[in-house]
Amino acid sequence: MTVDMSVALGAMKLRGPVLAASGTFGYGTEVPLLDRSALGAMVSKGIFLRAREGTAPPRIAETPSGMLNAIGLQGPGAEALVRDYAPRWAEWDFPVLVNINGESASEYGELTARLDGVAGIAGFEINISCPNVEQGGLYFGNDPHAAAAVTEAVRKRTKLPVWVKLTPMVGDIGVIARAVESAGADALCAINTFVGMSIDINSYGPRLSFRTGGLSGPAIRPLAVHLAHQAARAVRIPVIGIGGIMRADDALEFLVAGCSAVQVGTATFVNPNAIAEVHDGIGAFLTAKGFGSLDELPRYLPRD
Amino acid sequence: MTGKRQVARGTFVVGMRAPEIAAGVRAGQFVNLGWPGGPLLRRPFSVYRAEGEHIEIVLKVVGAGTAQLLAMEPGDRLSCLGPLGRGFDFGNGGRQAVLVSGGLGVAPMLLAARDARAAGMNITWVHGARTAAELCAESDGDTVIWATDDGSQGIQGTAVAAAPDADVIVACGPNRMLAAVAGRWPGAQVAVETYMGCGTGVCLGCAIPLQRGGYDRACKEGPVYRAADVDWPALPSHLPYAVTI
Repeated sequence: MTVDMSVALGAMKLRGPVLAASGTFGYGTEVPLLDRSALGAMVSKGIFLRAREGTAPPRIAETPSGMLNAIGLQGPGAEALVRDYAPRWAEWDFPVLVNINGESASEYGELTARLDGVAGIAGFEINISCPNVEQGGLYFGNDPHAAAAVTEAVRKRTKLPVWVKLTPMVGDIGVIARAVESAGADALCAINTFVGMSIDINSYGPRLSFRTGGLSGPAIRPLAVHLAHQAARAVRIPVIGIGGIMRADDALEFLVAGCSAVQVGTATFVNPNAIAEVHDGIGAFLTAKGFGSLDELPRYLPRD
Repeated sequence: MTGKRQVARGTFVVGMRAPEIAAGVRAGQFVNLGWPGGPLLRRPFSVYRAEGEHIEIVLKVVGAGTAQLLAMEPGDRLSCLGPLGRGFDFGNGGRQAVLVSGGLGVAPMLLAARDARAAGMNITWVHGARTAAELCAESDGDTVIWATDDGSQGIQGTAVAAAPDADVIVACGPNRMLAAVAGRWPGAQVAVETYMGCGTGVCLGCAIPLQRGGYDRACKEGPVYRAADVDWPALPSHLPYAVTI
């Protein structure tokens, strides 16, 4: 018996609940060995309207059960994305969403207008949570009005699915979640990396040139499960759980905690086939428990 | 893992059975290693030898991860991803190749000698270290000019200073040494060392600053660069853990 692993995120139907997280899967063409048939969807590396060089090295540092990164959203800009990558995405049998960034709400809107309708682009993930840019990013993510303004700016310029990727660096994630839901988001992605810092005691300074970085990996998983759960309790739209998922059991924690799907990120750095293994592991779990579909998985989502 | 031996003070060669990698690897390419109970991220190592179904890497203990790797025994299993990156190119080589290595920069040189010879070139290899005890003196039959900072073996001074000119220069060692290579031979091919996350081109963690501006990826466009293409002052030269690429 095969398990029905498909999920509906609003109007968007996915063949499986395991997605590639932005910034951990490039533009989908780089990672070797991956069994793409397991991918529910892919979110491409975060992009700005214009090309960006990114931050100076060192950009990454390993920490206990995690890694800090400060890449600074290095990328080729919208025109190169449309020219070099979207045509390839158009041939794939799973949707590709673009993680979009801007320094102002109007820049997010302008970028959306440029990408909307381009073949191969199935939707947008609004990044209001990148900790590694000087302008924008996290700023929009911890203010409900700014978060809503960015969401509205994007919503106005596309009928495609709009997801909003939330930052964990907030007092009450439910407030931000409700603000972007009201502004027209189709789904939430919870969460982006935590801001962290690591010091090189021999050089008496930070290990990253950007000083701080975004912490990802298993180190943040319980924090992420909690925040994704809080977001899911706060809204009616689907929540996509993200944070330190290395294997199927980790993904199932997010799903039981109220998420409709998950994104796998840092795990892909370690194991290029992590997404397929997580997907298969969820299927095996559901089968072992006697469920015929992912929809039958019990959820822990008490409503206040 | 199939074997482990010491080749210099604090420096070991670890062998492993990896048939597909052994069959396809080129000099300057690397493998990204993970092991049970190890650190979260893999660690990159240049391939030192490739013969039959086996490869070797050079290992120096500088932190908890490399200490774990050294403590493993033949028969233990590693996860080995590779071959990765772009290696040295001897395609339109010329007649004479000079190989210049310092310290752990010895790692890609046995294969570089192999590949250069296969391209019909004559080889001169200059290898340096701080002192004789730290000099990895394996050569697979090639004549090597030794250089040590303290003069305890071979020529006193750096490998770069001791090396002759040639059509093709290939170098690997600390980034400060490679900056000196760039000063003397702008057209040299150098294998850089850097932090690395995924090794497969997606995390953008291994950014190499370029002279023309911007960055590219040591794991994909590198780790071998034309020496003059790298913005050496912008590339960190002190790494707290071993990245032997």
